[in-house]
Amino acid sequence: MSGKSGGLRTPLTRVRFLGSSQKGTAEAWTIHVTGIANVLLGLYFVWLMLDLVHMDYNGVRATLAHPVPAILLLAFILSGIVHMEIGMRSIVIDYVDGPPRAWALIANTCFCALLGLACVYATLRISFT
Amino acid sequence: MASTEAARSGPRPRPLSPHLQIYKITITMVMSILHRITGFGLYVGVLLLAWFLIAASTDAAAFGWFSAFIGSFIGQLVLFGFTWALFNHLLGGIRHFVWDAGYGLEDPIRDQMAWGTAIGGIALTLITWAIGYAVR
Repeated sequence: MSGKSGGLRTPLTRVRFLGSSQKGTAEAWTIHVTGIANVLLGLYFVWLMLDLVHMDYNGVRATLAHPVPAILLLAFILSGIVHMEIGMRSIVIDYVDGPPRAWALIANTCFCALLGLACVYATLRISFT
Repeated sequence: MASTEAARSGPRPRPLSPHLQIYKITITMVMSILHRITGFGLYVGVLLLAWFLIAASTDAAAFGWFSAFIGSFIGQLVLFGFTWALFNHLLGGIRHFVWDAGYGLEDPIRDQMAWGTAIGGIALTLITWAIGYAVR
């Protein structure tokens, strides 16, 4: 946050000795672990999509309803959503300042949550209906 | 100028570090920027995956709408861009893992890895699309 302008204190002294948020390591670790997962699951995803391109509706349904593609697709969705939520957060923190930053961060979290839920819901629906 | 007014109304602006426009463009710099841009693109592109899954889970008519879009010129262009973004970001990520392990930061290797990411991303995209059209 930009804080009040015109004060005698510099931005540095306003934050000095407040300490860190204590969440940096966990976030760095998470984006690395999901990154490794996304490399493997992403390659599987491309392979799966190449399998689907020549299929009709029923073929796509039948393929995605199998447990292995369904579970790996769910894993890719979860890992991907977590990864992109953290990635977009770092973009927002780099380029957006002041009150819009908070709104952008909230929008990012909500967008990722809704998108993830929609993808998980649809994948499970294909499997179970 | 505005600086005299700023001097009166408050502290003068803090000095800023130089940004992109002042540096000579290098391949590592371009790939760093592309890593972020492709990450952003994939973020938006997941909407396409959501549409695909929701359409497939709904019925044949909904899936038909999706198929019509993805089969159109615009759809193919977007999907091609998504494929490239995926491979570019994937290879860029692997490059980050190599750096994290403590390798690939020295002079000739860092440029070679950056070029490898750029060329590899395009190559994997073209191979994927070649396979995609071959199996059709």
